[in-house]
Amino acid sequence: MTPTTVTAPGVRIRDLTVVYKTPAGELPAVSGVNLSLEPGTITGVVGESGSGKSTLALSLLNAVQPPGRIAAGSVEIDGLGDVLTLGGEDLRRARGRQVGYVFQAAQNSLNPLKTIGKQLLDLGRSHDVEDLRGLVRDAKELLARMGMDGARVLDSHQHELSGGMRQRVGIMLALVLNAKVVVLDEPTTALDMITQATILRIIREVHDERSLTTLVITHDVGAIAEVADSLAVMYGGRVVEHGEVTEVLGAPRHPYTQGLIRAIPRLSGDISEARALPGRPPTLGTLPAAGCVFRERCERRMAVCETDEPIPVFRDGRTVACHAVDHPLALVKRKEFA
Amino acid sequence: MTNAVRGRPRWGAVARKTGGHLVRGLVMVWVVATISFVIIREIPGNPVLGQYESLIQKGMSPEQAERATAVLYGFLPTGSLWQQYLGYMGSLLHLDLGRSLSTPGVEVTTLIGSAARWTVLPVLAGTLLSFLLGVTMGVYAAIKRSGKLGDMLALSGSLLHGVPVYVIGLLLTAIFATLWPILPSGGPVDVEFVPGLNPGYLGSLLQHAVLPVVTYTLASYGGWILAMKSNVVAVLGDDFILAAELRGLKRGIVFRYLARNAILPLFTILALSIGMLFGGSIFIEEIFNYPGLGLLLVNSITSRDYALMGGTFLVITIGIVVANIVADLLYTAIDPRVRSGGAA
Repeated sequence: MTPTTVTAPGVRIRDLTVVYKTPAGELPAVSGVNLSLEPGTITGVVGESGSGKSTLALSLLNAVQPPGRIAAGSVEIDGLGDVLTLGGEDLRRARGRQVGYVFQAAQNSLNPLKTIGKQLLDLGRSHDVEDLRGLVRDAKELLARMGMDGARVLDSHQHELSGGMRQRVGIMLALVLNAKVVVLDEPTTALDMITQATILRIIREVHDERSLTTLVITHDVGAIAEVADSLAVMYGGRVVEHGEVTEVLGAPRHPYTQGLIRAIPRLSGDISEARALPGRPPTLGTLPAAGCVFRERCERRMAVCETDEPIPVFRDGRTVACHAVDHPLALVKRKEFA
Repeated sequence: MTNAVRGRPRWGAVARKTGGHLVRGLVMVWVVATISFVIIREIPGNPVLGQYESLIQKGMSPEQAERATAVLYGFLPTGSLWQQYLGYMGSLLHLDLGRSLSTPGVEVTTLIGSAARWTVLPVLAGTLLSFLLGVTMGVYAAIKRSGKLGDMLALSGSLLHGVPVYVIGLLLTAIFATLWPILPSGGPVDVEFVPGLNPGYLGSLLQHAVLPVVTYTLASYGGWILAMKSNVVAVLGDDFILAAELRGLKRGIVFRYLARNAILPLFTILALSIGMLFGGSIFIEEIFNYPGLGLLLVNSITSRDYALMGGTFLVITIGIVVANIVADLLYTAIDPRVRSGGAA
């Protein structure tokens, strides 16, 4: 494979706001998100459906689909600049070449009428790859690396592959042009447990081998614990907690993260020990206009939660946005975080 | 996890499939032939027996009358139903459909053959033209669906789809043959030209074909554009289109992905409508006085020409059965999911 002497790029998302046009006006799916992906790390983003995590992932490629629109903010990727200012051919070339995107496994991210090999060649031609044979060789190596017979897979149509195989093909197509930033949207959803474990192991290994900067979107806290270095928890379009994965999961600070972890049934012990979060996640239309977005479901709700939106505060390697989480006064005013 | 099969067509399976289709098709044709035999035999007034009896009344001997009627209908008018049926089927196997009543003495096959020529030209040209036009416009209507152009195109489709073909035909005749007479109003060709590959004859042929072809095109265009638009919109929502864009594929390639997937279901309809063309287009042929199969069928019904009627029905049936087989095989050739016989 191509030697990877280049260091992994960092990604800095700043004040990102994405709005969706609805009959009730433009409503934010992501509001004012700040998130840094450290070079060479895997960052997990967890959240319920509608928390804005997929919208966030698409923003990394400036690919928010109408009726959505990126209203404010920037996404700086080292070596590429602010993705949100890119357009037309520049943007197209960056996609695939610099930022790889892997779709959900259950969804069909491949053209059903063409063999994988032909779609690989389409990819190569789109990015002006001159050595198409080399591209096919790289693809076969990647597929072999993921435990598949490359030649046979390239000769197959999508419907001839299982969910796990399709998912690995998706990963191959995201990596074959040597993209250094990889975004995986729900990479293990709808796969069986063994395939899930295999895909997660592959993500981790390929990430390390190629020194990538990876973002994994999921609603599966268990899956993310195995693969990620750091974890961001999203709720109502905001990152409510972000820190090292073992710390966030081991000692969650935000009431939402705590509730989320309590809701996971344990392998040992009674299933009734798992407690569902009361209430339901907000939709675009039910997001409160002021105050904390989580307060309706929060057991530590205070008067200030009704009026003021909590500002994310960085302390002890962790960013938390909650009024109830006790923090030193000196840090309360600090808006920025690393 | 490794249950994938090679993406190559299995020609053995294709041959078996084709064989099955042919057998089923023959059964269909046989069923229709039987039904039309029984209907002709059982209509009140029994034209076969009527013919036989009127010949006897005219002074023919029963044997002569029987033979004369047999020549007309292709089967014996007397004897048990079974004997007549076997006789009819026997002559069918020899492609003998009997003789026409309304054009005495002329074989039904000859009449159908000459009418088919006049049907194939306008209907086939109209079908293909409307398909090309409708599909292209359908893609634009889908891509520009939130703009004015898309609205206009979709509206044109709904409008033309809703207007009956005879209204379009009469309107075009009124405009281009009466108000502003630049085109002939009817007939297949001017009689002053000698049939053959000479410019005068061909020119007259084309001139006469314009209005029927345009009418047919406009009448079927609406269906194509609406179907293509909804297919494209559906495929646009498929993940692989967004995935292709996120992989940075060139616009042209993404467009081909889109178009090929959207047009696929339409090929079946196209093959079927080409099969239907043997039914002719009764309205268009009537309006433009085009001696095609549709007109032949109408005339055979009004003149109670039962042999011709039965023959025309049979040709229409065969056309549709064959088109069905072709549509199915076509799908096998262009859709890999069907080709390998597995579920997607």
